[in-house]
Amino acid sequence: MTAATLRRLIVVGLIALWEILPRAGLIPELFLPSLSSTLAAGWNEAGEYGHALAVTLYEVAISMAFACGGGILLGAIVGSLPRPRILIMPMVSSLYAVPLVILYPVFTVWLGIGSESKIAFASIYGFLPTMLATAAGIQTIDPQLLLAARSMGATLSQRLVRVIIPAAIPTVLSGLRVGGALVIVGVVVSEMLISSAGIGYLISRYRTILDSPHVFAGVLLVLAMAIAFNAAIKWIERKAAIWQTGTRAGQNAAEEITPTLQPAT
Amino acid sequence: MQPLANITPLKPAGAVEVRNVGQIFKTTTQDVVALEDVSLDVKPGRFVVLVGPSGCGKSTLLMMMAGLRQQTSGTITISGAPIPEPDPNRVGVVFQEASLFPWLTAEENVEFPLALRGVTKSDRRARAQDALKLVGLDGFGKRHPHELSGGMKQRVSIARGLVQDPPVLLMDEPFAALDEQTRMTMGDELLRIWAATGKTVVFVTHSLTEAVYLADEVIVMSPRPGRIVDHLQVSLPRPRTYEMLSGDTFGSLRDRIWRHIRKSA
Amino acid sequence: MRGLGVKAARVAIVVALFAIWEILSRSGIVNPRLLPSASDTLATLGDLLQRASVRKDLAVTATEVVTAFALAVPVGALIGFLIAENRYFADVAKPLLFFAFSIPKSIFLPMFILVFGVGFAQKVGFGFFSTIFIVIMSTTTAVESVKVEHLTVARSYGATPMQTAFRVYLPSMLPVLLEALRISMIFNLTGVILAEMYASRDGIGHQIATWGENFQMKQLLAGVLMIAVIAITFNELVRWVETRCSHWRT
Repeated sequence: MTAATLRRLIVVGLIALWEILPRAGLIPELFLPSLSSTLAAGWNEAGEYGHALAVTLYEVAISMAFACGGGILLGAIVGSLPRPRILIMPMVSSLYAVPLVILYPVFTVWLGIGSESKIAFASIYGFLPTMLATAAGIQTIDPQLLLAARSMGATLSQRLVRVIIPAAIPTVLSGLRVGGALVIVGVVVSEMLISSAGIGYLISRYRTILDSPHVFAGVLLVLAMAIAFNAAIKWIERKAAIWQTGTRAGQNAAEEITPTLQPAT
Repeated sequence: MQPLANITPLKPAGAVEVRNVGQIFKTTTQDVVALEDVSLDVKPGRFVVLVGPSGCGKSTLLMMMAGLRQQTSGTITISGAPIPEPDPNRVGVVFQEASLFPWLTAEENVEFPLALRGVTKSDRRARAQDALKLVGLDGFGKRHPHELSGGMKQRVSIARGLVQDPPVLLMDEPFAALDEQTRMTMGDELLRIWAATGKTVVFVTHSLTEAVYLADEVIVMSPRPGRIVDHLQVSLPRPRTYEMLSGDTFGSLRDRIWRHIRKSA
Repeated sequence: MRGLGVKAARVAIVVALFAIWEILSRSGIVNPRLLPSASDTLATLGDLLQRASVRKDLAVTATEVVTAFALAVPVGALIGFLIAENRYFADVAKPLLFFAFSIPKSIFLPMFILVFGVGFAQKVGFGFFSTIFIVIMSTTTAVESVKVEHLTVARSYGATPMQTAFRVYLPSMLPVLLEALRISMIFNLTGVILAEMYASRDGIGHQIATWGENFQMKQLLAGVLMIAVIAITFNELVRWVETRCSHWRT
């Protein structure tokens, strides 16, 4: 049996177990409601979930613009200037060790429990990895490429547009993937903690009334969101950087950065 | 073969003159003399090889001829005029290993210097095709660098150096990363291209065999400080053949270079 | 000299940030009720550290973090080893693990409450769950970072499996393992604190959430500062060991 076949079997088996075990009563419905009852719960409250999804997506979109826009911009600046890089980069990555969740209560005090506090928190949550990855991506550009461009008389702006930006695309995208995933986590977690709308809020509300099927329906929805986002970034990666498939250096750089920046929690 | 587009060169086209050039690198602890009183005259259409141990400043000298670095003292002129900054109309540069842009195809890489100057797409493509044909890569234009072998990548680099038809081609250890067989083939190819175009070539290498095999003249340099210690005329007839490698003339020239290098090591 | 200059500049940046904070609050540009001054916050921090209840919360959190870590690291490392050592198993499991690794863990937090209730087990369980995937992944990376050439050399000189393990595997993997330890700890700490903030009766995360709900800004900021200092100190400590251990790596 090939590895891929076995893998598919495992996935199918896990999904089947999710249905069978709760139905057979081997796992209490409170701990894990069966797949069918979860889907049914979600379907019956489709309107409520749809509204919550709209709120969450709105918050995610705005946070994403802040986190990724700011992260890429600042990362590019810090990465291309040696002095700030030596000075700031180690500080930023130390900051990365702090569990940023503790900042969320601060934002709720400052901005209330509406969308603003979620957006502020999620933007900061996604900002750091995007910035780190972009700065690292700019740094890993082969200096010989820049020298070659200079020998052909490329001006500073031509070097930026034609060499630095395309060369940094793979790492920036991997930063975007991690940053974007963190933005989603940030929004949902903050909704779960204190809020009055969004999928995270629904999950928490149903959890307090011990309505497991509705909790899991919300969890599934967030999962779908995360997976869809991942797939979208992968698609862009394929479109934007065909060349990277062959360059070990580019790929290594991207892979080296990704694990350290994966969404904590 | 179609001639490449002509650019009216400054007179005397293709001459390289180096007069009393010195270079001092300032570090925090001390000043390092990289080059000291180097003078050199390359006549148009000649094939001149710079050879010497690591740290003798041969690559530094080449970078100055390319306008990529400025000397501390003395003058360098290309086709009669100084070169304060890179000028691809006067000088083409080929770097060690392929400094090709991995996100561009072979022909886009060759077109790159033209694109920097806003040459129209059709004009660019036609000239890139000519240059690729010249280096024997007809039909490989659509491939990305990672789909090409080491030798082919260097052919693309040479095409890129020649696409603006500069009278002078500077080559910084272009074949250092290739295996020996490819290296021999590429040497023959380079000589063919040189004979077909009549360029002045200044070529930097570590390999004594390569130096004697390719050159009209070999300049031997010694390190700390970088100076010219010998200037040999290679009287072997053209075209050069593999059999010459085992001849007496070849052997005695190579021995003479080796004695200089051993002394300075 | 240069390294010293950079360190001084970093200290200067931190001091400057605190100074701006102080000025913003004192001058009234920002409402001091929303942003108490840096000096007040630091004073509160000192005060909090004296309090028995805060110390107890810190001890609770530390116990949870250490327990979750002590469970997740050996279990994760074992699974990681098994995966890295068997090609077929690796082909089967790796994409699944990558997937599990890339999905947000925090949304499963309610499940831990449903299963374990609110308490020690739920927080440790979630900390374990947050950490185990990164441990598995890092162990796999660590095993794969051992160079085949080095193993061949060891074999050609007749090294026993034990010798290979201690003289080739361990030194090759050490830097990667330390890095893994550092990152796992970040994940672990985040997981436990989030679990405490979400639903808990004790622990420093719970305390911070409560201060936030009661608009006690001084205590809240002092708490944030306290956690940040603890996390950064641990992080820098492991990094320091890392550079000591990997100075021979190019």
